[in-house]
Amino acid sequence: MTTLFLYIDPGSGSYLVQVLIAAILGGTFWIKKFWRKLKSFFTRIFAPPSNRGKKES
Amino acid sequence: MTNQTGHHTPALQIHHPASFRDPAGFIFTVDGVVYRQVNRSYTRQYEQLIKSGLYQTLTQESLLISHTEVAGPAQTPDHHLTLLPEQLTRITYPAEWCPEQLKAAALLTLRIQQLAMTHGMCLKDATPFNIQFHKGRPILIDTLSFDLYNPTRPWIAYRQFCECFLFPLYIHQYARTGTAWVATAWPEGIPASLTARLLPLKSRWNTGAWLHVFLQARISSRETTAAPRSLSFSETKLARLIGHLESIVSRVSTSPAKPSAWSNYYSETALGQSYLEAKEQLYRQYLHQIRFTDALDLGCNEGRFAKILAETGASVMAVDSDWLCIETLYNKHLPNILPLCIDLANPTPASGFGNTERSSFTDRASSGLVIALALIHHLALRNNIPLPLIADYFSRLSNQYLLIEFVPLSDEKARELIARKETPTVGYDPEHFESAFNRHFRIERRERITGTDRVLYLLTKFDRT
Repeated sequence: MTTLFLYIDPGSGSYLVQVLIAAILGGTFWIKKFWRKLKSFFTRIFAPPSNRGKKES
Repeated sequence: MTNQTGHHTPALQIHHPASFRDPAGFIFTVDGVVYRQVNRSYTRQYEQLIKSGLYQTLTQESLLISHTEVAGPAQTPDHHLTLLPEQLTRITYPAEWCPEQLKAAALLTLRIQQLAMTHGMCLKDATPFNIQFHKGRPILIDTLSFDLYNPTRPWIAYRQFCECFLFPLYIHQYARTGTAWVATAWPEGIPASLTARLLPLKSRWNTGAWLHVFLQARISSRETTAAPRSLSFSETKLARLIGHLESIVSRVSTSPAKPSAWSNYYSETALGQSYLEAKEQLYRQYLHQIRFTDALDLGCNEGRFAKILAETGASVMAVDSDWLCIETLYNKHLPNILPLCIDLANPTPASGFGNTERSSFTDRASSGLVIALALIHHLALRNNIPLPLIADYFSRLSNQYLLIEFVPLSDEKARELIARKETPTVGYDPEHFESAFNRHFRIERRERITGTDRVLYLLTKFDRT
């Protein structure tokens, strides 16, 4: 009914790949977060005063 | 019969030939009923699965096959529990799935891994052989696939997931050839190094392919036995990795760049709508005459006639060699229809260790009713299979009835198939057809389809007992 692979060799290379990919994904996550903050900072600064008032209320 | 531990068990209990890899337990059958033994070594994991609520969550969402714990037959001294899972009618293999089925199975695996992590567990393997199609959707059938989660370790099944699911899907995305051939040639997964060679240059612009295929191929080529084992990991990192896999798999495009030769067969058929309507009317009449609980549609195309079978409440296996037709039918998620990519001139062989791990299509497909509409001219004229051999094979597939359409040489579609043949076609006419099928079947109905030379037969298999 089923084929099982308990003794699969995860491969030491596969662990290293996961560590690298996770680091890259983590890096892009922080860059995106930083970029969003930067964007909202400038949007706030350059937004017309009327919009600024709306956002603050 | 002798089982894994060398103890003798009663002859009626049959240890499943594919269930030998996992020391956590195994599948066995008693009088055709499938059971699963949980071994003592798996006690903690099984308790975590149940007590954490993971089992309940997964079965409520129909992601994992449900079971009941039974006092029933124990097999070996390391027996902890016997489970009686919900019984499946048909078993299929990834070599028979269309790309959309493989993609659905991949997303199911990732969803289960995500849910398992929130319950302190993880999937210890990620093989499509642990997934079956049940009521039109994929479901995990291996209750013992879960292990206790250690957040400092990466995912043990990552490489297997990539090789069995992600890489075949990437190859298909760029080559549009379906995934069945990859699964046939590489039942345990296609390596990253080979996938990297098969993918075109433009795939390097695909972030997912770059990270999981090319980076992995590069690293595994440098892999040494002394590679660092002390790499630390975290739950956040793994959740991010699984989330990324889920996002790239769900974005893999499975539809073809252009329609296949068969995908618009019904709308573009030269014989027109009136032929289809006349055939359907006759077909419905024949179906009213007989009773069946399971059916097999050979050359189902997009399933127009399989759906009529399913309306009767029968469980239908619908097969076609064209993966795009199967994909169209699968995407309707009809609970009674199991669509599969099968080339009848070369159906799935028995394979795996000792040729018994995975059974052949023929062994799994036999049904009370077999239908073969507008198919026989392809087998006889394109594949050059003589009518008596086709009749022999169909009698192996049918347990009782065969509903078959004969397409004579005078038919336009049959003429197209022999147009470029230099040798004359012999032994393909109504007389040869009837004498070939008369060896196994009795003719119950024989009617010409209005406006064509085609004939629709209803045959009953001779009772040989």
